[in-house]
Amino acid sequence: MNKDELKALSIDKVVDARGTACPGPLMATKKTIGEMKPGEIVEVLSSDPATKRDVPKWAEKKGFTYLGDILEDGYFRLYIKK
Amino acid sequence: MAKKMTIALYTGSFDKLTAAGVIINGAVADDMDVEIYVLLMGAHAFKKENAGKYENMAELVDHKEAFKASLSNLKIPTWMEFFKQAKEMGNVKIYICGLAGKVWNGLELGDFNDLADDICGIAEYIASTQTADVNLFI
Repeated sequence: MNKDELKALSIDKVVDARGTACPGPLMATKKTIGEMKPGEIVEVLSSDPATKRDVPKWAEKKGFTYLGDILEDGYFRLYIKK
Repeated sequence: MAKKMTIALYTGSFDKLTAAGVIINGAVADDMDVEIYVLLMGAHAFKKENAGKYENMAELVDHKEAFKASLSNLKIPTWMEFFKQAKEMGNVKIYICGLAGKVWNGLELGDFNDLADDICGIAEYIASTQTADVNLFI
């Protein structure tokens, strides 16, 4: 998805993991996705650059859909569909 | 059936215990079962009286203060917090080697911190590694 498509998504949950380092964003994302229904979308905010590689790989391995990411000023927004 | 990671946790040093904590959390995020067998020096770190004040460092010992300060600045959880989080979020069992316990005068489960699930022998560890998908020595 491109940036405009990502920005237009209807978000069901937000995980704000900014300020934490690996594995903080991953564990926070796992916890939140565990409480979501299939088809729902989570937006993950992370200032840890490792998250941009780590969370998509994890999401795809667990059978979720990684939709893409947006670079903001000092952090990323990542989008995953359960 | 969930995949399984076994760890022979020999280290009693908080730098390596922190690394172990990160790995355990990663395994839990991947829905792996984790069994940790705490061997010799590790059992010292798990003694109840050592909770929260464990600062032995295995490597780069000259940089201990800088390492501690950096962990703190980055808000990295302590190794015990990492282990606690992993236990809360997944199927993580921690067994103290009976021999190791005795070496540090830990004769029963109550002599160790709340992370420990039981005291066991080496046969259980060896048997468990044979059905594990990943086995680490830390």
